[in-house]
Amino acid sequence: MSAISRLAIGALALSFALPAAAQTKIDFFFPVPVEGKLAREMTRLVKSYNESQKEVEVTAVYTGGYDDTKLKAQAAAKAGKPPAVVLMSANFNVDLKLSGDIQSLEPMLKADGTTRDAFLADFWPALHANAMVDGELYSVPFHNSTPLLYYNVDHFKEAGLDPAKPPRTWAELVDAAKKLTKRDGDKVERYGFTMPAGYDYLGWLMEALTLSNGGRYFNEEYGGEVYYDTASMLGAARFLEDLIFKHKVMAQGVVEAGGVSTSFFAGKASMMLLSTGSLSFIRENMKAPYEVAFVPKNVRNAVPIGGASLVMFNGQSEDSKKAGWKFIKWLSSADTLGGWSRFTGYFSPRKSAYDTAEMKAFIAKNPDTKVALEQLPYAKPWFATYQTVAVRKALEDEIQAMMNGKKKPDVALKDAQKKADELMRPYVEQTALKLPR
Amino acid sequence: MRLERRLWQALGMALLAAVAFLWATPFLWTLVASFRPEGAGSARMASLVPDTPQTLENFRNALESGAFGLYYVNTFIVVAGVLAVQCVTVSLAGYAFARLRFPGRNVLFYVFLLQLMLVPPALIVPNLRTIVDLGLYDTLPGVMAPYFASAFGTFLMRQTFLALPRDFEEAAAIDGAPWWAIVWYVLLPMAQPGLVAFAIVSVTAHWNEFLWPLMVINDPAKHTLTIGLAAFTRGAEGGKEWGVLAAGTLLVMAPLAVVFVAFQRRFVDSFVFSGVKG
Repeated sequence: MSAISRLAIGALALSFALPAAAQTKIDFFFPVPVEGKLAREMTRLVKSYNESQKEVEVTAVYTGGYDDTKLKAQAAAKAGKPPAVVLMSANFNVDLKLSGDIQSLEPMLKADGTTRDAFLADFWPALHANAMVDGELYSVPFHNSTPLLYYNVDHFKEAGLDPAKPPRTWAELVDAAKKLTKRDGDKVERYGFTMPAGYDYLGWLMEALTLSNGGRYFNEEYGGEVYYDTASMLGAARFLEDLIFKHKVMAQGVVEAGGVSTSFFAGKASMMLLSTGSLSFIRENMKAPYEVAFVPKNVRNAVPIGGASLVMFNGQSEDSKKAGWKFIKWLSSADTLGGWSRFTGYFSPRKSAYDTAEMKAFIAKNPDTKVALEQLPYAKPWFATYQTVAVRKALEDEIQAMMNGKKKPDVALKDAQKKADELMRPYVEQTALKLPR
Repeated sequence: MRLERRLWQALGMALLAAVAFLWATPFLWTLVASFRPEGAGSARMASLVPDTPQTLENFRNALESGAFGLYYVNTFIVVAGVLAVQCVTVSLAGYAFARLRFPGRNVLFYVFLLQLMLVPPALIVPNLRTIVDLGLYDTLPGVMAPYFASAFGTFLMRQTFLALPRDFEEAAAIDGAPWWAIVWYVLLPMAQPGLVAFAIVSVTAHWNEFLWPLMVINDPAKHTLTIGLAAFTRGAEGGKEWGVLAAGTLLVMAPLAVVFVAFQRRFVDSFVFSGVKG
């Protein structure tokens, strides 16, 4: 046999052998919710997964912010290139399910021989609602957050406040903020309180304030209702208006999250509401001593969940479905989640992640992590409706106008409700208002 | 009398200087902040005065967070590729609308201009479908393809050609030059300022574009500069590391800024000639 024909046979054998060893290649879209470092860490994680096994090869695709990620994933799905797995803002599930983009994870649970309840048992109860749509599992929580009150310890001492006793109620918050605000004539040198009011953040914090005021913000069971024009939200909106215009302890206008944390670092604001997801970032950058506390209440302690979950898009081959689910299980294992939580400051959605020695050592070293965990029993689902983003913006636009002094709270909320109802009408008419003839 | 005139001149200069300073402030801040140590935590974050111990740390962090060398190459390929094809399409289309006579020319021209009214995000899904059908998904040509024809460029070139006197073409035609030779040897050299003005608009637009490349590209090795930069700027829940942000921004805009400063005179002439405002 000549060398050439031997080579040819070898090549032929190889080409037959290849398909058996072939990997399933899948795309994983992820946004970077905090800062550039997280993109690098995620890429590193996925690389280590690819090296750890041979069946699945994941391409990690960085896809901008939460909204960009939704846009890209849905556009790709419509164009016939649905991504296998996407890390999606945790409150997009309802919308994505209603538009038919994501698939139920129940078949995967069944194939694994497990049940939804058994699967979710290790996840914090507050997260269950956002993971499910219409009673079925549609997403697996990956990193989560709640709002927290951050405060500057030096400023507290200077104003004669006890740093060990942060404000627990709205009354105490106003009182502390007044003492912390420093004025020089008409000029304010330091504000007692601040919070982000850009898109996405404002809606989330309005939910926190409304929940703390006994309200609900939205119907957790049905995607066609929000409760904007209610007493509990009116109280929350008036409280915000008072902080700016009556007590003058908060700057007028809309400040984005980056500006809020920067003014906190620079000592230009003494207290701020910000996500637990920023905890690592604050810890690394804050020079002065700071503490964290629960979000102050008016009626009850309650905060919304934030963060992101893993979803799978429709239109996958059986192989990539299996590969995607395998990857999701690895990404949401207690070890991976614990490491990611320590790296970012988000809390781990799995309870068992906190049983590891590494986590215990980490919490002992960084006690501020504990406050976020202690607040968890008071956490409620994040608003999720038909057309979530547009319905949220309907409220945010009005509240922003109020914060700029252009609208009164009652008018703002009535207008927001009207706009939200209009946006949800197509869905409502297809569901709640569709009656037997 | 002379003193008074001088005074007015000085006043005018001062006013212009003030406006120029105001306009340049964001750039100055970016420059200063990118060399400032510990951008995020510093109380002097907003200051325009440089800190004394300068640092390259921010640039190191920015460069480490992505393969910027690759992003430069990809962005350059996209921008140059788009421009190269556009130069051909807009000159030919502009020539057709300016000089050729065919039925429905004006109607067709206005229909063509209607494109300018469409907001790009509305076209994302249909364009993406076409790109997938053409097999260009997740490739750089896929990023370029929708821009190969440009309504704005066609409009600009048509106006440029219309402004040129016909005498030259007629002289060439009498000498027996075919239409393509007239375009190439006679019209294009005279229309150069128009092309240069269009090139500036095209290059800046595609250099800065974010959404469309984000939609088309999955492979991290094919990302463009703006997507690399977004890793710092699109943070939702966290704070901002201003120093790294400034350094990243500077890295992205530096090549364009350098080119602009180098050819400033030429660019300004082109804009004045073609009547385009940036």
